Amino acid sequence: MSIIPLQLARVSNALRMNLSQRTITQTQRSLLDVQNQLSTGRRLTTPSDDPGDAAIAIQIRKLLEQRAGFEDNLKQASSHLSEVDSTLGDMTDLLRQAQTLASANVGSDVSADQRAAAAAIVSSLYNQMLSVANKQSQGVYLFAGDTGQAPFVSDQSGIRYVGSNRVLQNRFDESAVLPFMVDGNEVFGALSSRIQGTADLSPALTTGTRLADLRGATDGGVHGGAIVLSDGTTTKTVDLSTADTIGNVVNLINAAAVGGITASIAPGGAGLLLSATGADNITVTDSGGTCAADLGIVQSTPAGPGVSITGAPLNPNLTILTNLSDLRGGAGIDLSGLIITNGSKTATVDFTTATTVEDLLNRINQSGTGVLARLSDNGTGIDILNPVQGTQMTVAANGGNTAADLGVRSFDPSSLLSELNGGRGVTTVAGADIQITRRDGTNFSVDLSGLNTVQDVLAAINTADAGGGVTATFATTGNGIVLTDSTAGGSLTVSSLNASPAAADLGINASSPTGVITGADVNSVAATGIFGNLGKLREALLSSDQTGITQAAEALQKDLDRVIHFNGQVGAQVKEFEARQNRLADQNVATKAVLSGLEDTDFNEAITRFQTLQTALQANLQTTRRLLDLNLLDFLQ
Amino acid sequence: MSLVSALNIGKSALAVHQAAIQVTSNNVANAGNTDYTRQTPHIVPASDHLYRPGVFLGSGLNLDAVQRQIDESLQARIRTSVSDNGSAASRQQWLNRVETIFHELGDDDLSSQLSTFFNSWSDLANKPQDIGLRQIVIQNGDSLAGSLRDMRTQLDGVTSDIDKRLITTAQNANSLADQVAYLNDQISSSEAGAGASANGLRDQRDAVLKKLSELMDIKTQETGDGMVNVLVGSDPLILGKTNRGVGFKIESNGTELIPKLFIKADNGTLNVTSGTLGGLLGVRAEVGGVTGEVNTLAANLIFELNKLHSSGQGLEGLSQITAGNAVADTTAALNSPDTNLDFTPNNGSFVIHVKQKGTGLVTSTLVNVDLDGLNNNDTTLDDLRASLDGINGISATISAGKLKIQSDASDVEFSFSQDSSGVLASLGINSFFKGTDAHDIAINTDLKTRPSLLSAAKNGQLGDNQSALAIAGLESAALKGLNGSTIREKYDSMINGIAVSSATSKTNAEAASTVQDTLLAQREALSGVSLDEEAVNLIKEQRAFQAAARIISAVDELMKTILNMI
Repeated sequence: MSIIPLQLARVSNALRMNLSQRTITQTQRSLLDVQNQLSTGRRLTTPSDDPGDAAIAIQIRKLLEQRAGFEDNLKQASSHLSEVDSTLGDMTDLLRQAQTLASANVGSDVSADQRAAAAAIVSSLYNQMLSVANKQSQGVYLFAGDTGQAPFVSDQSGIRYVGSNRVLQNRFDESAVLPFMVDGNEVFGALSSRIQGTADLSPALTTGTRLADLRGATDGGVHGGAIVLSDGTTTKTVDLSTADTIGNVVNLINAAAVGGITASIAPGGAGLLLSATGADNITVTDSGGTCAADLGIVQSTPAGPGVSITGAPLNPNLTILTNLSDLRGGAGIDLSGLIITNGSKTATVDFTTATTVEDLLNRINQSGTGVLARLSDNGTGIDILNPVQGTQMTVAANGGNTAADLGVRSFDPSSLLSELNGGRGVTTVAGADIQITRRDGTNFSVDLSGLNTVQDVLAAINTADAGGGVTATFATTGNGIVLTDSTAGGSLTVSSLNASPAAADLGINASSPTGVITGADVNSVAATGIFGNLGKLREALLSSDQTGITQAAEALQKDLDRVIHFNGQVGAQVKEFEARQNRLADQNVATKAVLSGLEDTDFNEAITRFQTLQTALQANLQTTRRLLDLNLLDFLQ
Repeated sequence: MSLVSALNIGKSALAVHQAAIQVTSNNVANAGNTDYTRQTPHIVPASDHLYRPGVFLGSGLNLDAVQRQIDESLQARIRTSVSDNGSAASRQQWLNRVETIFHELGDDDLSSQLSTFFNSWSDLANKPQDIGLRQIVIQNGDSLAGSLRDMRTQLDGVTSDIDKRLITTAQNANSLADQVAYLNDQISSSEAGAGASANGLRDQRDAVLKKLSELMDIKTQETGDGMVNVLVGSDPLILGKTNRGVGFKIESNGTELIPKLFIKADNGTLNVTSGTLGGLLGVRAEVGGVTGEVNTLAANLIFELNKLHSSGQGLEGLSQITAGNAVADTTAALNSPDTNLDFTPNNGSFVIHVKQKGTGLVTSTLVNVDLDGLNNNDTTLDDLRASLDGINGISATISAGKLKIQSDASDVEFSFSQDSSGVLASLGINSFFKGTDAHDIAINTDLKTRPSLLSAAKNGQLGDNQSALAIAGLESAALKGLNGSTIREKYDSMINGIAVSSATSKTNAEAASTVQDTLLAQREALSGVSLDEEAVNLIKEQRAFQAAARIISAVDELMKTILNMI
């Protein structure tokens, strides 16, 4: 309440009245304010009551609202992961049962019938596992990644994984965006680990290449910004922040017309070229950002009169939009196609009408073989994976270089012998391993011990033949070692020596009356996941194959170890989310206390004020009445 | 020297004291009138006359003048303080109303709605395929849009109410100015040749000037003939007995409406800075600023959210879509003002994916939106249509400036991604909000009927949540259009601005009223009537009157004595 200064010479009646009125009004206003505070319990009803405190209160309210969102997310994530946790527990049980069955049926005292009965139980475990694998938590498939559909479907003779490795994430904190899913592929071993394209397809830089698709000269992407370009006399700042493509960058630099400097894509298509005209003495620096550095064209000291600058390679990422003709630095790839087999299905995929990487992937994915072609995670090539557990996939050349260009041939001369046959390798014995009988009846033997690659085998055969008429080459259509015999007479035959399994391991233990043996692809690709291993166990039990049962049991042990590992990991994650929830609740208690201190009425203070004001009002009314009653005119006679 | 002179002295004394009693009674009568100025009789001895050389005799007394006890400079200060008070009070009143519109610190204020809205996107990220959650997002968006529209309507209501108040207040000021001019005339003709001041009329004029100063800041200049000229700033409003007139109108300068107070005589702008009118003009500008901020906020929310939404995908693809925003000139570059687009796209590109539903085969095409202003080949809507139309499986047409894309067969659907140009959001394709700012922000009606079209995904997968996550993050993303502030920061700073403004206006109003009361108390001390004082005066004058009557009767006795001598 403001008080007016009273140092007055005279006191008029109106003055006394006004003053009383004013103080009564002010006291009543203050009383109303306190009354409002007492009745609502709120000190701040509008921000203007105390803008400073209100600003903090609004911030705190925002924080609390935001945290309510985080709390919801944490609850959802905890519930999802708890579901995953218990599902992984179920899987552990199923796998343990399978193992128990395997060990109970491995001995020689078990009859084929008993094994067949066990196989039926494994079948049921297999089906239970399938339903567990497709479990949902509140409409979200536990193991599907972001595909949003049941991740495991029956396909051919196996289970096909159609989930993805991109797991969902959400925000659980101002700064923490965390995944709340597990990768179904990793848990189930659902995808084959091969074939990761070995070729770096390094697309050429073109005017249409988007800056967003570049790894940039410093491997951190290209950030838009301004560069400072000078020809030694004129210096200009060229704003490249509006550029979307390399073409835009080139146009913007050319439009800036600094001296005679022109920009273009360097011959070879790896980076930019800034060409000097006449005595242009080029310098390029960044104007605050890292654009010039990202584009690999920084030249902080003058390059010299007339010297052009060739920028560093910009390494465009492979995207689905990349043109096939731009691959391999602009050389393109051979389009003759691939021969893909998966299980019983074979398809010849032709790329002659494909123009983009997406077309190529589409052709493979739509080939009907059920294989999965996708861009590799590091963005340099393509992977062709076998998502079906229980089938073998091969990817072979179709008479051209497509498979080699893409680096996706499942079996080729550079394949390591030790990795063939699903990692079992090629077993050799002391002495010669194979004997090759020419059509003319002559023969020669080959010792394959100590060799590394398929190419070494080809060389060893050709050397051992010593011009006798047999040539070992690698197939140009399909995958496999091809033996051609130029002699005539009977059949060309490859047979085993010293009981060596090498000929079978190399896929060439055959006989051909025409003189050409085309070997098999012995490096086929399989997804060795839980379903594959359960399937193997079932097959082994059905066929009473003890070695098979033991192998399947060993593989299932690995699966079990993996699942237990994930189970522990998920359990820890659930704990972490719960801890976060508790932390948030604790923080909320403290924050709400601060908010209450700002917003809520301090009753002690308010009641004291109410009393004081009431007393003041009473005093005011009494004095006013007394004063106004008093008048000299009453004393006039 | 004669008895007659003595009698005359008595007579003058009677008359003068009678007049003094009249002045006192007038004072007593006006004791309760705060506009009244206390008057005091100025009584002087009458001139002496020479009785004999060396001796002067007095000849009684004269009422020289009846004076108003007034301090003109104090009056001027009072008028200034009254203006300030009027301005502060009206500012407080209206800002209070603006503050109520936002209803901050409540549980259903806009900031809570923003949180709820963005939280629902975050919740959708937990279960991106859940139709229920999608509906919640859409409902929350709808109610957020409704609140913003409501806010804008209410702010517009405040502005129009202020305008109405300005009109009536200006009329009021004009009639007060008329009265001043009239009183000027009256005072000048009353006082002309009389050599005295017309106290009552002057009090009346002071009262009217005070009322006028409550409406606008005025300065007065007294002229020699008893009139005052009234100036506003340096512009004369009242010249003697002429009121030049106050008017109010709202002018358009092409882009916005500007309120204007003017002098009717010459249409010149009246620079009122204080008083109710000054306060109203000021607060109108403030409300305009707040409206602008709400609009900026809504516009940024629309465009930024649409940019993210239009690059995302729903649970189903699109079979046909018509742009929400029309382009005026389809042959103009898409970032040219000729397009009449509210949101300007920039140089960039987007990807359109065409899917054969039967086989699941997706073909993607990059569509460049060249807006670099170079080589005379910037993309127009016609160009965009042509490049979209060239894509297998879809066709594009333009009708009434609106781009329409549709699939060629029922088995084909399409979707968009990676729009770095913002062109989809500018054209209103696959958008979440429609509208341009707070006055027409609304949810895209397609989403209401088909929540599955809501974009939660960014990579085309059904179960992806990256778009939802990105939109949830928009709440705390620094935006270029807001000079690097986030939507919440912008809103909070606006609310804080209003709160500080409103609190300041409250403090100012209190301070102005204290200053005014202090000055009025000072005026009362000088010009106010004290009944006690008047009672004393009355006694004094009563006694003087009685004494004068006794003198007359004594002289009468003396004259009788003389006459009896005859």
